[in-house]
Amino acid sequence: MSAYIVRRMWQMIPTMLGVVLLVFVLFNWVGGDPAYVLAGKISNQEQIDNIRRQLGVDQPYWVQLGIFLKQIVTADFGASWSTNERVSHILLTRLGPSLTVLVPLTILSTLISIGLALAVAYVRGSLTDRMVMIVCTVGLSVSILVYIIVFQYVFAYKLGWFPVQGWGDSFIQNLFVYASLPILIGLVVSIAPDLRLYRTFVLDEINQDYVRTARAKGVSENRIMWIHVLRNASIPIITNLMAGLPSLLLGQFLIERFFSIPGIGREVILAVERSDFPVIKAITVYVAVATIFTNLLADLTYKAVDPRVQLK
Amino acid sequence: MATHAAALQERRPPVARKIPHTVSPRLWTLAWRRLRSDRVGMVSLVIVALFIVMMILSGAGLIASDWNREVGVNYAPPTFLGSEAAAGASAARSGLPETETVPQGAEYKSNVVDPIGDIIEKLKAGKGEAQPAAAPPGKSAAPATSESSDESVDPLASVMADIRAGKGVEAEAKPVERKATLPFGGDKWGRDVVKKTIKGSETSIFVGLASAVLATFLGTVFGAIAGYFGKWVDDAFNWFYSVFNSVPYLLLILAVAAVLQQKGIITVILILGLTGWTGVFRLLRAEYLKHKGREYVQAADAVGASNARRMFVHIFPNVSHVVLVQLSILVVGFIKAEVILSFLGFGVPVDVVSWGSMLNEAQNELILGKWWQLVAATVAMAVLVTAFSLFTDALRDALDPKLKGRAGA
Amino acid sequence: MANDDIRESANARSRAVDPPSGDALVSVRNLRVTFRLDRNTTFEAVKGISFDIPRNRTVALVGESGSGKSVTSLAMLGLLPPENSIVDPSSQIVYGGRNLVGLPISELRALRGADISMIFQEPMTSLNPVFTVGWQLEEVLRLHVGMTGRAARKRSIEVLREVGIPEPERRIDAYPSQLSGGQQQRVMIAMAIACEPKILIADEPTTALDVTIQKQILDLIADLQRRRHMSVLFITHDLAVVGEIADYVVVMRNGEIREQGVAKTVFEAPQDTYTKALLRCRPQLDRRPVRLPVIDDYIHGTGPKHTEERKRGVRPSDPIVLDVKNLGKSFYSREGLFGQREFKAVKNVSFQLPKGKTLGLVGESGSGKTTVGLTLMRLHEATSGEAIFEGRDLLAMSPKEFMAYKRRIQIIFQNPYASLNPRFTVGQILVEPMQIHGIGDSSQARTDMAFELLDKVGLPEVSFYKYPHEFSGGQRQRIAIARCLTMKPDILICDESVSALDVSVQAQVLNLLQDLQDEYGLSYIFISHDLAVVKYISDEVMVMNEGQIVEIANSDEIYRHPKMPYTRKLLASIPKGWQGAQTRAND
Repeated sequence: MSAYIVRRMWQMIPTMLGVVLLVFVLFNWVGGDPAYVLAGKISNQEQIDNIRRQLGVDQPYWVQLGIFLKQIVTADFGASWSTNERVSHILLTRLGPSLTVLVPLTILSTLISIGLALAVAYVRGSLTDRMVMIVCTVGLSVSILVYIIVFQYVFAYKLGWFPVQGWGDSFIQNLFVYASLPILIGLVVSIAPDLRLYRTFVLDEINQDYVRTARAKGVSENRIMWIHVLRNASIPIITNLMAGLPSLLLGQFLIERFFSIPGIGREVILAVERSDFPVIKAITVYVAVATIFTNLLADLTYKAVDPRVQLK
Repeated sequence: MATHAAALQERRPPVARKIPHTVSPRLWTLAWRRLRSDRVGMVSLVIVALFIVMMILSGAGLIASDWNREVGVNYAPPTFLGSEAAAGASAARSGLPETETVPQGAEYKSNVVDPIGDIIEKLKAGKGEAQPAAAPPGKSAAPATSESSDESVDPLASVMADIRAGKGVEAEAKPVERKATLPFGGDKWGRDVVKKTIKGSETSIFVGLASAVLATFLGTVFGAIAGYFGKWVDDAFNWFYSVFNSVPYLLLILAVAAVLQQKGIITVILILGLTGWTGVFRLLRAEYLKHKGREYVQAADAVGASNARRMFVHIFPNVSHVVLVQLSILVVGFIKAEVILSFLGFGVPVDVVSWGSMLNEAQNELILGKWWQLVAATVAMAVLVTAFSLFTDALRDALDPKLKGRAGA
Repeated sequence: MANDDIRESANARSRAVDPPSGDALVSVRNLRVTFRLDRNTTFEAVKGISFDIPRNRTVALVGESGSGKSVTSLAMLGLLPPENSIVDPSSQIVYGGRNLVGLPISELRALRGADISMIFQEPMTSLNPVFTVGWQLEEVLRLHVGMTGRAARKRSIEVLREVGIPEPERRIDAYPSQLSGGQQQRVMIAMAIACEPKILIADEPTTALDVTIQKQILDLIADLQRRRHMSVLFITHDLAVVGEIADYVVVMRNGEIREQGVAKTVFEAPQDTYTKALLRCRPQLDRRPVRLPVIDDYIHGTGPKHTEERKRGVRPSDPIVLDVKNLGKSFYSREGLFGQREFKAVKNVSFQLPKGKTLGLVGESGSGKTTVGLTLMRLHEATSGEAIFEGRDLLAMSPKEFMAYKRRIQIIFQNPYASLNPRFTVGQILVEPMQIHGIGDSSQARTDMAFELLDKVGLPEVSFYKYPHEFSGGQRQRIAIARCLTMKPDILICDESVSALDVSVQAQVLNLLQDLQDEYGLSYIFISHDLAVVKYISDEVMVMNEGQIVEIANSDEIYRHPKMPYTRKLLASIPKGWQGAQTRAND
């Protein structure tokens, strides 16, 4: 097992280097000279020159790459081009709010989706099943933007049940007051696709031979669904969940933006608008690294959950 | 084929042939028959086809080509709400601070930074006067300022007068009269929402289709090569794939958008297409791996078929249905992505209308109680995406029906 | 071995000789099952059949694929999918005075696993992969007998021991994927008998297992049946298996019962033509007619043709067409941090193939026999060894050089459903090799050749325009054979080519292969696990085990006087059928 982990870590290195290369090519090569980008945003010419020097814009590319690598390893990307805040500080402080929304959202969404998927699979083929699926399909086709706009307008602005936007200082206040509507919207948006997917996983299991054996043993349909099938369906569900974690962090960026929640997603949008390259580069690289590790974690979880798997 | 059969009959001595020769149905014929019997699928297909026709007509300039013209009053309400609404609208509008006019191009950018703040500003400014937000069109007793609405929206009236007087001043042709209501309302500048929606569908569908084709093509070719050849070729592609996959999709798009300074439809298509191939790659690679081990491919090897022949002549027809379904799924995803991108201002340029930009404008308008642009864009998008999704499901079922339950012997 | 013999004769002697009496445990009357295929079409799988399952006896339900035997067994416990199957309400399955058809589901569940149990064909997928063996056993105990905790565990271990699982205290905590196929099937049986059922329904329980394991499982079931006085309903397509174990036989075809009765009567004096045909089609171990009888011979009443014996054997003076020396093939997989693990599939195999003769290659799964065939075709690259054909080593040639020789040695695969490209028409399948190798001057010439070959393999010419899915398994194998013939090969490798076919179809394809060998002088390497078939068609037989050759001899010799212990073990596992059982009983 430990040999497997070590080998996987070893294999991760080329991928990480690849990501670094990708970001580098994008921002240093395609993006080019920041002076061009920053003209019009920063009026202070000295500041622009500083930035150019730090990046090593006039130096050959491999030197620039070296600078970039050093930045990654020391986690020091300098300062944001627009706010002058240290990039590392930005990342650290924004992580908290993102997680405050993300964690409860993921837990609730998964539990509800699994429960509904099992219930719907239980009555598969019936009118309820088809109705729910149609509702999901229609729900999926409405852009998240619309949900945000409408919910914000109706529940926060008109009915006043939630604050329209903002973020507080205390964790409890954040969790229950400011995060509620965002979480609600997040639920609505993520349950639809998850339900469809999990339903497929569950239905795949229901058609397996071992379900027939369980019936031949006299096991009740309820027990078959909640114990036999669920335990098997949990394998693809969990792996799917784990693989999707890193994108969740950013997937809520629209919500963060609209509700002015100071999280990583909102930071990314602001950075893109302002062409704030260091911030974007830093976030991209670290999120990619997190994804790679999460994938390894997903594989290990898969092994823990599925007795058939032999990791070599 | 039919002629061969006929020739066969001629050359052989006449023997009573009991087997009638019918051309066997191929996969696509069978699939089409199954699809035809699926009512939901057919309805969805028709809806999608209508949208595509709309896109073609709109792209050719046959309809909605004048979407940009300000044919109605600002915030003109939908016709079906009646003329009361018209009065209410003009009154509400008159309550707005005049200082809000900003040059068209830059407008989007500044909105994007802090939309709510902008609204709050307006509300604060408008608090003293008639509360526009509390007055949904057609309901409140609006101040009876029923003066002609033309006055404040036609600053070039004097110019028009000059033109009519034959002075030949070069000026933008502005319609003299602007309507009080439009079929489904007007936006901030009085542009027809219906036309904008149609034009917006052109953008979304075109971008969706083009990027989906690009991404599917890349994913298929990469996946086929990786899955078929295996070993170091597979390793190389897998490295490439995992690099792209490690960066969450939306982040990748935003990063590329940040870097590419020129905006344009082609840019959007490239962004979406060059980053969205990973799902198709993974699927096609798995399919090619699976089929490569199948006996019919081994048999093709045994009879001497080359690698290229095996890949494209033998295996591809067996996976083409997977490719088609993936393409369909991607179209839906890309339409949604394009809307989000355009909303944020990273998508199509401002002179091209997209449902995303409509939603952007709608955001502000909602506070003022103008809901029609929001509803139009939302409904159009929902109908298209729902129809496409249902069609994709029907397509998948038609191409690969799995026997439900066990009908063993 | 003595114990086995004693057990077998005990089985044979206790075989019933009387017709079922009135007190049947289960009475099936007028069972009718219809399937709904789509909105407009229905298919009647079982057309109103009646039979009895008496107490303490084994009833064999025999039929080929499509006969409706599995559907019947599933219907007994109400396990047919409700979405698309309909059991006619006038059907009766009477057990304990109650009609199981139409019984409320809660009562049916109480019977399942407790009174009537069932085991299935594929043990790997029939066991839940994510729960341990013990968990699954304890579940059925808790459900029907109310046993929990330590009592349940103790009983589970007992049952595992009874079905022959070694070290049951350890194995009880294993997951199904950690057990072999035979052990998995034993676990299934354990789950089925844990609550002392009165009836065990076994749906093709040994079809997916190796021959030696099959024998063990059959013995186990027979044992359990006797000791516990259970009734067994045994579903199978293999008449030889039936002959060994059945008291009563029910023969089904196309949803109807063709014949039923006491085993002795059915085997020795069958009334129905289909039953007669079925019994005779299978290659017998003691006879080798020039042509195998086929169903048609009996259906049309003409009786079998060409029953004279065919002599087989290899003489030292026979010319050799292929000389294989020290063939080896290893597969490598990653192990540990940087290491590789080597799996030697084929070790040091040497043999000679005489021209115009058949070399049979027998072994169980994992013996390496298939790998030998694939390596000779260069579909896998050999790790070592040579294969001399016409003076040149086929394995050492570059791929380009080998192209010229590719057409000389061809292969017919096992799975007729996977070896033809589903998107090609038969015509395209046949013409492609000719195009690649430049056979035939024009496309018309190639088409004509294709028609000729279709005729030769016994398919109508119009097949040229059809797709593979329109043909049955046997017909597809013929197409595969025709495909090989387009290139006029010298050597044909038949890799389990008839194993997936029904008995009646198998006979037809074997006859076809023999005809072609007689006409064209082809040399065959016939790979199979079915010893009776191999004996019938081969001149010389090579036995393989774990990648190595165990024994090579002329086919008659090797069956009469097997030298090596593994060969003897293999031969002893062949179900002897009714004749064999009787012979042993009389010893």
